Amino acid sequence: MKKLFDRVFDGADEMFALAQKTIDETIAELGESAPLAMPNTAYGLAVYSAYLAKNINTLGDLKAAFEEAKAWNRHDPRLKHVFSTGMGTFMAAETIEACKYAKGPDPYKGEYHGHLTDAEVRELGVPLVTDDIPGFVVIHGAAPSDEEAIELIKGYQTRGIFVFLLGEVIEQARRKELNMGFPVRVVAVGPDIWQVAHIISFVYRAAMIFGAVQPGDRWEFDDYTFYRIHAFVNAFDPVSDIVVACGAGAIAMGFPVITDDEKDMWRVPKSILIQKDTANFIETSLEARDIKIKITNIDIPVAFSTAFEGEIVRKKDMRIDVDGSKFETFELVRTAELHEIEDHCIELIGPDFDTFEAGSSIGFGMIAEVGGKNMQSDFEPVFERNFHNFLNCVEGVMHTGQRDVLRIRVSSAAYDAGFRAKHFGEVLYAKIMSEYDAVVDKCQVTIITDPDVLKKERADAKKLYDKRDERLGSLTDESVEVFYNCILCQSFSPSHVCIVTPERLGLCGAVSWLDAKATNQLDPNGPCQVVTKERVIDENIGIWEDVNECVFKSSHGSLEQVTLYSIMNDPMTSCGCFECICGIEPFSNGVVIVNREHQGMTPLGMSFAEMASMTGGGVQTPGFMGHGKQFISSRKFMKAEGGPARIVWMPKALKDLVRPKLDRTAQDLYGIEGFTDKIADESVTDEAEALLAYLAEQAHPALEMEPLI
Amino acid sequence: MREIKGFTTIEEMEADAARLKEIACELCAETWEDRKTSQQPQCKFGEEGICCRICSMGPCRVTPKAPRGICGADAHAIAGRHYLRMAAAGSAAHSDHGREIAHVLHKASRDGSYQVKDEGRLLALAAEWGVETVDRDIYDVAHEVADIGLMEYGKPFGTLKFLERATEERQKLWAAEGIAPRAIDREVATSLHMTNMGNTSDAEVLVRQSLRVGMADGWGGSMMGTEFTDILFGTPTARTTQGNLGVLEADQVNIIVHGHDPAFSEMVVVAAETKEMIDYAKSKGAAGINIAGLCCTANEATMRHGVRMAGNFLQQENAMLTGAVEMICVDVQCIFPALSRLADCFHTKFVTTSPICRIPGSIYVEFKTETAFEQARGLVEMAIDNYENRKRDKVFIPTHTQDAVVGYPCDQIIRELDGVTNSHLEDRGSYRPAIDAIRSGVLRGAVAMVGCNNPKVRPDYSHIQIMKELMENDILVVASGCAAQAATKAGLLRLDAKELCGDGLKRVCTLVGIPPVLHMGACVDISRMMLLVTGIAKDWGVDVTRLPIVGCAPEWMSEKAVAIANYVVATGIDTYLGIEPQVKGSTQMMELITEGTRKITGAGYIINKDPHALVESIIAGIEKKRGLLGI
Repeated sequence: MKKLFDRVFDGADEMFALAQKTIDETIAELGESAPLAMPNTAYGLAVYSAYLAKNINTLGDLKAAFEEAKAWNRHDPRLKHVFSTGMGTFMAAETIEACKYAKGPDPYKGEYHGHLTDAEVRELGVPLVTDDIPGFVVIHGAAPSDEEAIELIKGYQTRGIFVFLLGEVIEQARRKELNMGFPVRVVAVGPDIWQVAHIISFVYRAAMIFGAVQPGDRWEFDDYTFYRIHAFVNAFDPVSDIVVACGAGAIAMGFPVITDDEKDMWRVPKSILIQKDTANFIETSLEARDIKIKITNIDIPVAFSTAFEGEIVRKKDMRIDVDGSKFETFELVRTAELHEIEDHCIELIGPDFDTFEAGSSIGFGMIAEVGGKNMQSDFEPVFERNFHNFLNCVEGVMHTGQRDVLRIRVSSAAYDAGFRAKHFGEVLYAKIMSEYDAVVDKCQVTIITDPDVLKKERADAKKLYDKRDERLGSLTDESVEVFYNCILCQSFSPSHVCIVTPERLGLCGAVSWLDAKATNQLDPNGPCQVVTKERVIDENIGIWEDVNECVFKSSHGSLEQVTLYSIMNDPMTSCGCFECICGIEPFSNGVVIVNREHQGMTPLGMSFAEMASMTGGGVQTPGFMGHGKQFISSRKFMKAEGGPARIVWMPKALKDLVRPKLDRTAQDLYGIEGFTDKIADESVTDEAEALLAYLAEQAHPALEMEPLI
Repeated sequence: MREIKGFTTIEEMEADAARLKEIACELCAETWEDRKTSQQPQCKFGEEGICCRICSMGPCRVTPKAPRGICGADAHAIAGRHYLRMAAAGSAAHSDHGREIAHVLHKASRDGSYQVKDEGRLLALAAEWGVETVDRDIYDVAHEVADIGLMEYGKPFGTLKFLERATEERQKLWAAEGIAPRAIDREVATSLHMTNMGNTSDAEVLVRQSLRVGMADGWGGSMMGTEFTDILFGTPTARTTQGNLGVLEADQVNIIVHGHDPAFSEMVVVAAETKEMIDYAKSKGAAGINIAGLCCTANEATMRHGVRMAGNFLQQENAMLTGAVEMICVDVQCIFPALSRLADCFHTKFVTTSPICRIPGSIYVEFKTETAFEQARGLVEMAIDNYENRKRDKVFIPTHTQDAVVGYPCDQIIRELDGVTNSHLEDRGSYRPAIDAIRSGVLRGAVAMVGCNNPKVRPDYSHIQIMKELMENDILVVASGCAAQAATKAGLLRLDAKELCGDGLKRVCTLVGIPPVLHMGACVDISRMMLLVTGIAKDWGVDVTRLPIVGCAPEWMSEKAVAIANYVVATGIDTYLGIEPQVKGSTQMMELITEGTRKITGAGYIINKDPHALVESIIAGIEKKRGLLGI
């Protein structure tokens, strides 16, 4: 039997030889001075960056770094050298891939995903910390049959595991017409083993973004990937030496390899597992990586998984279209007395989906009535806002909108599987009861399709929304007794802590003060704790002794003070999964805000990815701050520096989203009408000089304000 | 590279010892260093094993001019006889300790001082020995099992029952080579008889009997001691404790238990934990009662109660030199008679408790099974009364203390390994995960680090240095006795000591959740190591001698170590020694113990006084065994 370590060494030699050939050929074609950059990332060649702390900007830089990487390919029979050889193999793989991107930003032309962007890394921050994505699997090679490939991928998908595919399994999935892509969490990375570099790059960027791990700090990277990234590999027979070499790198990072190939394969506890029965791959793998799946049993005829959250139901595949622009629609959670609720009663008022023609647009309403000794009406909107997340997890259902303007699509496939109106009730019941069991003792759901009842109930619901808005409007940082902290992200970003106040929601956009309050009530020892605000240092710019104490404790001593309403002095840190990043624009005295979705440049000469890389990982970076979208219109948004009047540039889509509230805030604070229009966007310019001209033309208030620096 | 802090270096240990030595000098108190100096030069004939004192025609010393004794015995016969006598004495010591425990089990009762704590262990042994257990009182079973055990010491026919636990290959080999031990006492007596004036002078025959009398210990008396101790006091499980002199408390009554037989120390621990005694200590102005252990009594008590360990063999005088010890009570083996004179310089009460170990000047309280608890309480009270006599201005307690995880008998090791099995692939309850780690190369092998301290070498240095180098080379260490204590003092029993290891051992420690050095117990528990290696061999499907697993005693000194080395070699395990056995005056004996035994058991000694060279040869030996296995 060929020794395991020898297999690693031989495989590494193969990868290094291929990398040498590729870089030599690429340099012969483009020259050493040819620029080299991976698209939409601020971390360059992340694998090289992680291991060697190298900035690689040209093919010549790559060639020099590759020479250094060769020292990692050391053939001594100790695991230390086997690990470094495996990691060296990843650098060789990244060399091969980078050469492709040296020739153009999209070498795979959409056929394969290839490189993953920083925005994609950041997008996974929240689902990772909430365990909605409990882990990652990299599947390599060809399953014994197309059916088994699909079964495996879907098996992971329904468990919420993020799937990366490498090699022939991609063709197998395509033959079976599997819906793939980043939104449905099945990514066809590439056809060859060296595309593994993109996955490793993705993982190391997560460590740099969320964990603030510094380039070259091998020890911290190893710890981060071992303890925080719950990834593993499924490698189908035959597993060649070059795959074994990559496996060594994966195992070094803490990712076990599960294979059905027995030939020359060595069992290593929790690291190399030989499972001949590929039908058992999933359970074997999850146990090997200690991943426990939260199972919610919901009585519906289709799958339910967070993996379907990003699924899109197209018009041609649609059976039912709930259209809030033409019909009465609404969703509502309201508290009722316990005796008024018949637990798990799902009632449908009006006709079921069967009675509508395929493709019909209809009106639709959902009321969840909840009761419990610890239930508070403040929790209603928290639960209600999660309808969106709950319903989107249903395979074949797409939900957008909120409150009384909804857009819901049910696919023909879901309908054919037996999905009907009452199943909405089943999903809501099951999720509310499992997520909020600390405060909800009983729950009943009413689904309405009858137009008359819809009309009446929607009008009643509106009254309740108005009442809530009133309450929400009255909720200011001054009016509440306490704030909350949120350390949900610490599983990935160990020293970051958010202070959540009524006027400053968590930077991920997912945790408002009410959410934090509810989280605290649901789990008093959980991630959100009460932060008192009794010892004021400066209420105007947001400094409290109590808050500082909490930040010091929750950040394990890495932070001593935060100024809640400032981006210049001790600003709040970021974990990395923020929705937006703002950074100062020195010429105009203002700030530029860019959201994660925006791909283009900003007048700072930096993209979102580059600006985002300036902060994150729980580090204070004056002048840069991550935040949620809703914070932009808050009266407390950089209040210490003059407030939202400092905003000089935002992407157009973001402007449109925040316009109503931002205009109202600017009206209240400065008496300016239509302030949002004074803010430039990419349709105006993404250059500093033109920006200044536009602001002058608009008489933007920032120009008159005190210098920021 | 992250800096790992908080480990204690050998230099820091030596600085503590030097400060205590100063105290000794101030008091004109003598310590082993002084006596070692006055013993120089040590007798070369004795050291080389060629001075015969067996009959009163002698002493006869072998020189080039006088190559034979008066009876005609040559250097090989003289050194061989001496060597066998050492092995026999060591075997007698361990086995008699085992016998004492067997007697305690025989007297155990539901309402007496001693009860059966691990019924499962008792029932398993009863099944192994064919003792009826159905519908029987557990104490009837215990007494019958003890009875059978005691018969192993003197049964007229047959070989030892525990031999059947070995691999089939070993059992066949022992039978074929005629080294399977008969009754324990018989092997000891036969050894003395063979070496008596006018008997065996064939060195090879003497070496074969050394192996046999050694096995009477490892596969007889020691194994019984371990087995019955587990039944009486519970099979140890992993637990946390601390080690080194810093465990002594400035504001508590410090009682040190020292020696090897846990029957006595168990009672002291129990008595000191009673509210009555704690209250009494408080009434005398102490914050509490602090029991700490020395030598193997420490190993026994720490594995079962987490009692903290003050130190190993060469630290016994240092403990008293702190001036903070109210009482040292000792049972058997490795007790310096010097403690008695040293106690005169301090308020410390020095108490002997066993008729096996009587020392002039000590307070003698003979422990009886029937009255053990009352006697222990009396001693604790005496220590408390002595607290007020402590001279506070003369107290110096070194601050170095290390946390440790101890208590890895075979059962616990298997439990830990169960944690890395995959329920979809394999059964729990085997050494398979460890074997897979070794076969794949993640671990290169394992070394059993055992043995004493010996002033011939820098104390603890060899132990610690060798362990560290093994750890760096992905070699797992199991340790017992004074070796385990050296590791404790250095911090190698901490879970984060994995950071000192190569990536392979580090990964294993991380996944399994163990320190890189596994504390298996006292020196009598080296029998556990024999069962561990046997279990691995059985699960692997190859005989012991082919495994990349070896033993190492770099600082050994006791005759018990000679017995141990012999049974380890007989079990097929190469044994690396840092101190030369006293046979150097015979080339034939040197050849026999290093190479000759290989032809009999497949294993032998590798001797090197330089610890660095010794560890290099261990690693080379392990790699050679790997090569032969094709792994």
